[in-house]
Amino acid sequence: MAIPAPDHRTTHPPIVAATNVTKVYTRGSGPGRFGRLLGRSEPPTVEAVSDVSLTIQPGEIVGLAGPSGSGKSTLLHLLAGLEVPTEGSVQFQQTDIASYSTRRRTRLRLEEIGIVFQRFHLVDSLSARANVALPLVELGVGRRKRRERATEMLDRVGLGDRLGHKPGELSGGEQQRVAIARALVTDPALVVADEPTGELDTETGEQILAEFRRVATERTVVLASHDRETLAIADRIVRLHDGTIVEQGDE
Amino acid sequence: MSLRTRLTRWSGLVTVSVRRTLSRATDTDQQRIQFTVLGVAVTIALLVVVTGIGVGLATSTTVYDDDVDYWIVPETDGDRSLLVATDQPQFGSVHEANDRIRDHDDVTFASPVLAEVLRAEHGDASEFVLVVGVVNSDGLDQVAGISTTGLSADDPYYDGGERTGEAVLSQSGAELLESPPGERITIANEEFTVEHTDAGNMGAGGVPIALVQLSELQELTGADEYDQADQFVVGTTTPEVQSDLEGLYPESNVHTRGEMTAAEIADSDISLALALAAFVVSLVIGTLFVLTTAGLEIVADRTQLATMSAIGVTTRSQLVLTGVQTMILTGLGGLVGSIGGLGLIWLTNTVAMETLTTEPIAVSHPLFVAYGVLVALVIGVVSLPYLLVLTRRVTGGVPS
Repeated sequence: MAIPAPDHRTTHPPIVAATNVTKVYTRGSGPGRFGRLLGRSEPPTVEAVSDVSLTIQPGEIVGLAGPSGSGKSTLLHLLAGLEVPTEGSVQFQQTDIASYSTRRRTRLRLEEIGIVFQRFHLVDSLSARANVALPLVELGVGRRKRRERATEMLDRVGLGDRLGHKPGELSGGEQQRVAIARALVTDPALVVADEPTGELDTETGEQILAEFRRVATERTVVLASHDRETLAIADRIVRLHDGTIVEQGDE
Repeated sequence: MSLRTRLTRWSGLVTVSVRRTLSRATDTDQQRIQFTVLGVAVTIALLVVVTGIGVGLATSTTVYDDDVDYWIVPETDGDRSLLVATDQPQFGSVHEANDRIRDHDDVTFASPVLAEVLRAEHGDASEFVLVVGVVNSDGLDQVAGISTTGLSADDPYYDGGERTGEAVLSQSGAELLESPPGERITIANEEFTVEHTDAGNMGAGGVPIALVQLSELQELTGADEYDQADQFVVGTTTPEVQSDLEGLYPESNVHTRGEMTAAEIADSDISLALALAAFVVSLVIGTLFVLTTAGLEIVADRTQLATMSAIGVTTRSQLVLTGVQTMILTGLGGLVGSIGGLGLIWLTNTVAMETLTTEPIAVSHPLFVAYGVLVALVIGVVSLPYLLVLTRRVTGGVPS
């Protein structure tokens, strides 16, 4: 769960590490048995991430930078266990999560990893509080504690007066803050965010980044973005191009 | 995970599903959700109407009648028609009673009916025929499906007149006895003249029938001592006469012709078949409807399902959400459909009583609401496996 930030880079084992990770996507479906018999060729493939190794220490804020199609979102999804690598391994707290079953990876995300998406991805038929409380339902937390915890998290992101509002009734910035509250409600060790300010105007984007700065004092954060302002909060920036790491350095 | 935690999780998931479904039905996804509910509701409403009519037939409260005819029958003979009951309790002093009925302003015709199976002969031909005695009058066009044309009015022999010896033979009777109009036949050793033969329109197949004057048949069978008859047939312009007819004899029942028919239909299990067919058809149509609309709903919901998966909601929990949502929607459809079905029954009965009948066609009962909801839930249960498989297929991955 939450890990203190100081002196993390060398004294603790990495919270998440990718070793020689390659991710290949297939475009379209395969030919199948009959298709092969009829001589149909295999569909084309795309190597989104190619032989990437990356280690992230507890408490670190890492920014994944690069142009569109550079593989930063794919690498982020691999680190969060949303996808499994075609080759190589992803170790979360020193355990290879690529070998986990889908169910176990889902459970890992529930307990240890908070995810924030560019397009917020809230459940539009539930209120802000119900959205934030959703992971707690899965954890089997009782109704009263769920409400208390979700209210507390929404208070922390400045939405204490928007508890009953549905996503459609909230601005883009407010929706992203609900998404951040949802990502933090289970107190995860790692928070990953894919273009968290991508859908927001500059002012709202700055507010969201301020939230991330606050979040980062308590846990490890990995951000994928091509926005300079967003990446400015990172301790270390990993730059990708055509699926490979081309550069990485502090801040 | 402890049992308590599991139960808490389950109750939480059910709460989320209920909130989500109601919110979508009223706010975020009204059209698609309402379409699913409406589809089930229409199916269940039709089921309830057909079942109401089926139960109506089975309980013999149903009436089909195009000229408001009543049958007055002894109480123990209540559900038998003329053609199958010739040896039941009889009414007495029927000529006098018949006069009283005719005196009613709204009665267009009335006649006691006495039926006996007797041997009829003509030359070498000899057959048992159903001899039906009536008191002919204007408006009494047919009895037992045979035209009364050729019978003198008002049963003159009873009033001290000459014996007429008139008989009207059904077509089958005339053929069996080889007796065209004008021939003389013998029934129970008394001579009758065939005044008319009639093909008739009754559903009694080839049963040979002879219509004669009531008092002349009474004399043949010994029923003249107490002026007896099996039943009365009454024609009227208004159903309000029924209550007066009910007071004619203390132990009698008043039925419309349609009730006799309906009772026979019920005896043949058609009502059960009707209700069963309605159940099966509703189940199939309702299930197909739910599969289509809820299936589209799940496919359209794939991003949200992927989001739930991404934040840690397991596929199993998502299946619970889908399952609960399906049962809520089908249950809601069942409730709306059942209430709508009761409304349709009322409408059907109202229209039928305005145009065709004197009594309700279909039975309406509050239990139909429970029945409709139950069938709707069965539709939900039958639909569940496919919807759960679909949910499992579309969930997971990265929300786009």
